[in-house]
Amino acid sequence: MLGQVVISGLLAGALYAMVALGLGLIFGVMRVLNVAHGPLLMLGAYTTFWLFHFLGLSPYLSLLVSMPALFLVGAVLQRFLVRRVVDAPELSSLLLTFGISIAVVNLAQLAFTSDLRSVEYLTGSFRLGPFAFSKSRVIACAAAALITAAAFFFLKKTRVGKAIRAVSQSREVAQVCGIDVQRIHLIAFGIATALAAAGGTLVSVMIAIQPEMGQVYTFKSFLVIVLGGAGNYPGALLGGLLLGLIEQLSSLFLTTQVNEAVAYVLLVLVLLVRPTGLLGGRAS
Amino acid sequence: MAVLLWRFAGAVALVALLGTAPAEAQAPIKIGASLSLTGTYGKIGTYQKEGYELCADDLNAKGGLLGRKVEVVVYDDQSMPATGVRLYEKLITEDKVDAVMGPYSSPITEAVANVTEKYQKVMVTPLAATTSIFKKGRKYVFMIISPAEVYLEGLIDMAAKRGLKTVAIVNEDTLFAKTAADGAAELAKKKGLQVVLKEAYPKGNTDFSAVLTKIKALNPDVVAGSTYFDDAVAIIRQMRELDVNPKMLGVTVGGDLPEFYDVLKKNAEFVYGATQWDESLPYPGAKEFAAAFKKKFKHGPSYHAAAGYAGCQTYAEGVRRAKTLDADKVRTELLGLKMRTAFGDYAVDQDGFQTAHKMVTLQWQDGKIHIVWPDELSNGKARFPTPPWNQR
Repeated sequence: MLGQVVISGLLAGALYAMVALGLGLIFGVMRVLNVAHGPLLMLGAYTTFWLFHFLGLSPYLSLLVSMPALFLVGAVLQRFLVRRVVDAPELSSLLLTFGISIAVVNLAQLAFTSDLRSVEYLTGSFRLGPFAFSKSRVIACAAAALITAAAFFFLKKTRVGKAIRAVSQSREVAQVCGIDVQRIHLIAFGIATALAAAGGTLVSVMIAIQPEMGQVYTFKSFLVIVLGGAGNYPGALLGGLLLGLIEQLSSLFLTTQVNEAVAYVLLVLVLLVRPTGLLGGRAS
Repeated sequence: MAVLLWRFAGAVALVALLGTAPAEAQAPIKIGASLSLTGTYGKIGTYQKEGYELCADDLNAKGGLLGRKVEVVVYDDQSMPATGVRLYEKLITEDKVDAVMGPYSSPITEAVANVTEKYQKVMVTPLAATTSIFKKGRKYVFMIISPAEVYLEGLIDMAAKRGLKTVAIVNEDTLFAKTAADGAAELAKKKGLQVVLKEAYPKGNTDFSAVLTKIKALNPDVVAGSTYFDDAVAIIRQMRELDVNPKMLGVTVGGDLPEFYDVLKKNAEFVYGATQWDESLPYPGAKEFAAAFKKKFKHGPSYHAAAGYAGCQTYAEGVRRAKTLDADKVRTELLGLKMRTAFGDYAVDQDGFQTAHKMVTLQWQDGKIHIVWPDELSNGKARFPTPPWNQR
């Protein structure tokens, strides 16, 4: 029983890590907490749904559409709205992204109605001895791992990736070194939104799609990046897997009812002992 | 003779006064409500509004109420209790409506009932299923649908009759779902079933692996989910993935919607659901109601629409019997009223709490809903037991 629950926890955790990496990226680079991250994930899920509904496109192939499409949405949001509050006090950016979040959800309700949709694609599970591996969750986990790895590769090895890390370490110094900070902000926001979109696409096969499905992922991502260490990108990975495991294990040993509470209590403890998160600091 | 003639003339005058003729002359009876036309409950609130509108049409076709035309005034509370409160204040104090009808959902009803009580307005609440709303000493609220406690009654009763012994209950940790789960657990114990697990999960939970893994280890005969739609879908999908195989699997809300099958396809087969009403039920006027509804709104009526319609008809019957809109007189009539509408039976206790209306249990069979409980209302036999996932 424990093995099965650990498997479920890790499967869920990989997805959390990918989505949270997006939120962490925005926070790291811009010091903006993007409350609209979850609602943007919802748009990714809808992209997948409509492509599946009208064109019969496999949800996994639709990653190739949802991620670039939401990259653009993210870039546009950054260019016209978020950019204005990057240097303002934190409350302004919080209010702005909160506003974006409400607008996105309500526009989705208007455009798509609040009818529940679903992508009925891959159901059932693989079996390995006594363990069941949900097909959709295994693939989501694998895809999330791949995308996260690609994102890390991008951050570590490419010029733009290095520039992003440079900006998140010190914007002033980066600027002095000739990095176009505005452009980096744009790209980072786009990538972050694309990561949310990937999350939306991958969960669309597992759960019902509706305009309010995203908010819960904002909270989970927030939890993940604070646990792992805000602004520390490998920390998001650790935090994501940890959150997946905590949720499942507390459901197993206590009840499902308290799994969120347990996660937040842990968060408070981490903040008390290591205010900078588990992997601490801003180095990435 | 002369006296008789005068009496006759007087009677004619009286009939003319109370009858249909002055319907044009007098101001219409304005019935106000705030409904959730947008937001989370947007869709269902719209169904309820359609129910109210059809009821007003029907009343007007029969000469109105107390000889006056009936007009429904509806605002949108955006699925928010606070907005609902503001709108009922406005309806009563600014618009000066003659009567009010209830909003959609228990939380909003709970909030606005304080307003309607304050102004001593009778409020028939067609879509509030939470018992506590009616057990707080409020005088003017009247319940139409069956309370949350009995949503899983059919499932438990059928399980007990088939000699099943154990049941696992999971529920969303919100008022309605929790009440339904408590009701089911209570009933299960009464009928000699053992509740081997009862667990709540937070609203918005998407991963049920852990609790389902526990259930799988306990291997209960019945799994009862006190759910809304998303969670019901997620639980059933994950039950298949984790190969959890109870002999009966039932859910509360969600299982009665056509979308349930659209989303789950074959995985919805054999699943039991519960509903307040279905147009196939043999209630007087149900067929006519459904036909008129389809004609006017171009889609079939959900139970929400039917409850809205019946709630409004029930209020109208109370007014007819009281022969006035006076809240206290209408209240007295509604307390004593027993009637059967297109929606089923109506009778309330001294608190306005519904005691007569029956929930029905349905099962998905070959992509269609069949009513399988109670026997006197059923139109099909339950397919029992539910086969294991790998033998379908």
